[in-house]
Amino acid sequence: MRSFDRLFEDSTRALAQRTSRRSLLGCLGRILTGAALLPLLPINRGGRASADELKADPSTPQSCQYWKYCAIDGFLCSCCGGTSASCPPGTVASPITWIGTCHNPGDGRDYIISYNDCCGKTSCGHCDCNRNEREKPMYRPSRNNDLNWCMANGDNSNYHCSVSVILGVAEK
Amino acid sequence: MRLADALPAALPCLLLAARVLAGPPPLPAEHLTVEPLPPKSPHWVYVFDEAFDNEIDARVQLFDGDSFRRLGQIDAGFDPSVNISPDGATTVVATTYFARGSRGTRTDVVEFTDNRTLAVTHEIVLPTKRAQTVPTLFNVAYSSDAHFLYASYVTPAASFGVLDPARGTVLAEIDTAGCVLVIPSGPNRVSSLCESGRLLTVTLDAQGHEASRAMSEPFFDPDKDPVFVQGIPTSRGYAFLSFLGDVHEIDFSGPQPQFAPVWSMVSASERGQWRPGAEQVGAIHRTLGRLYVPMHRGGEGSHKDGGTEIWVFDTAHHQRVARWGVQAQGLSRVLAVQVSQDSAPILFAATDSADVAVLDALTGHVRHVEKHLGQTPWMLLNP
Repeated sequence: MRSFDRLFEDSTRALAQRTSRRSLLGCLGRILTGAALLPLLPINRGGRASADELKADPSTPQSCQYWKYCAIDGFLCSCCGGTSASCPPGTVASPITWIGTCHNPGDGRDYIISYNDCCGKTSCGHCDCNRNEREKPMYRPSRNNDLNWCMANGDNSNYHCSVSVILGVAEK
Repeated sequence: MRLADALPAALPCLLLAARVLAGPPPLPAEHLTVEPLPPKSPHWVYVFDEAFDNEIDARVQLFDGDSFRRLGQIDAGFDPSVNISPDGATTVVATTYFARGSRGTRTDVVEFTDNRTLAVTHEIVLPTKRAQTVPTLFNVAYSSDAHFLYASYVTPAASFGVLDPARGTVLAEIDTAGCVLVIPSGPNRVSSLCESGRLLTVTLDAQGHEASRAMSEPFFDPDKDPVFVQGIPTSRGYAFLSFLGDVHEIDFSGPQPQFAPVWSMVSASERGQWRPGAEQVGAIHRTLGRLYVPMHRGGEGSHKDGGTEIWVFDTAHHQRVARWGVQAQGLSRVLAVQVSQDSAPILFAATDSADVAVLDALTGHVRHVEKHLGQTPWMLLNP
């Protein structure tokens, strides 16, 4: 134990000789600043995710990284007066949708997700989120998030925002 | 000198002093006019702005890649489709309006704009079936002789309208059995992309009705490696890029599409690591045989992430000839590219910051960055 104490004392003194308190504070400052900035790094997929206004915590439905949003493309209804599975007041839900399969890290299961659009008002304009896991081009429409899925809503075909509704567990 | 003698000599000086004290002469009255467009240039570009944050107000901005001036605007309504006639004289906008701005009766319409004046000349009202989707050259498209105009419909049942742009009428609706978009070829053929990886080609009669149809063999696997629907014009047809970086060149000059051998833009070690990604995923200078593609390092699901580099390929020899990093030149990710077709070509690159960069298409040198040319510039069209 005595030799261990000596070893620790020697290494601490050597470190103190090589560094100053100011450099230590600077180093700590850089680490803390970096840690503080990390959650704010832009989530920029497709160039439209307006990351500044999105909550960075992936466990919240206001975050573009929320697990249910793995193939969403549009404004998150949870930022527009609705929730991840409900449309904002005064809008009309689209009866037709595109489908995704997303992995929920909370329970380790894959879920089939219906991405409905909420319609009848102009763009919400908040929390734009574009993720494309297993998304396919327009020739496979049921997997395509480029189409305006308000298209079949007649006079209410204006696009407002998008929701992610769990349909069930995806069977392996 | 007596005062009477001095006054005539001093008068000019006094008048000058008074004029100086009164300031410069006033500006002449102006006559309000409407600015005419300058003569058309191959270095103009039509910038499609989806205006996603307020999508009922999309527009097309006309920008000059030489003077770096914004020359004018074409209004484009809600989630529009835009194209230019084969002679470059007309911009066609297929769009949707609601009677009360953001609500009310839906009207789908095709509007024709004279590219010499940027004024709308006439329109054709469509059935409310127009495909509302991201921009491609195949949402609305002219036949090669401009006799027909084709409009893609998705309700989500897929079909297309055949229009007479000169008479302003809808001639027919053709069911496409689930295949989508209108890839025009010749004076009377329309091909559509199918979920099976095939092309459906419909040949029309003189009245715009279906005369015959044929289905190709599959030319890609939509499960393993889908192709982007944003086809790139080539000398004899279009090139379609796949998510993993294959190039499918299709010759549309004959009665049925002919598929050239597939080649890859990435090496074996790059495959699956580097890939194309954008809203407008490539441009080809047809005389020089140069293909420009926004590329990024990313995995499955990153196909709409913009390019951190632009890769340049020799389409005759299927070789990469340049990699241009765009971030080092102060640009964010590239979401759309277009190249002028003249002998001193300009490459236009729209970024995810809504900037449009003007590059020397031979060297990659950035000549100018036009900041915030719209909100979401997702497609660039040549005049």
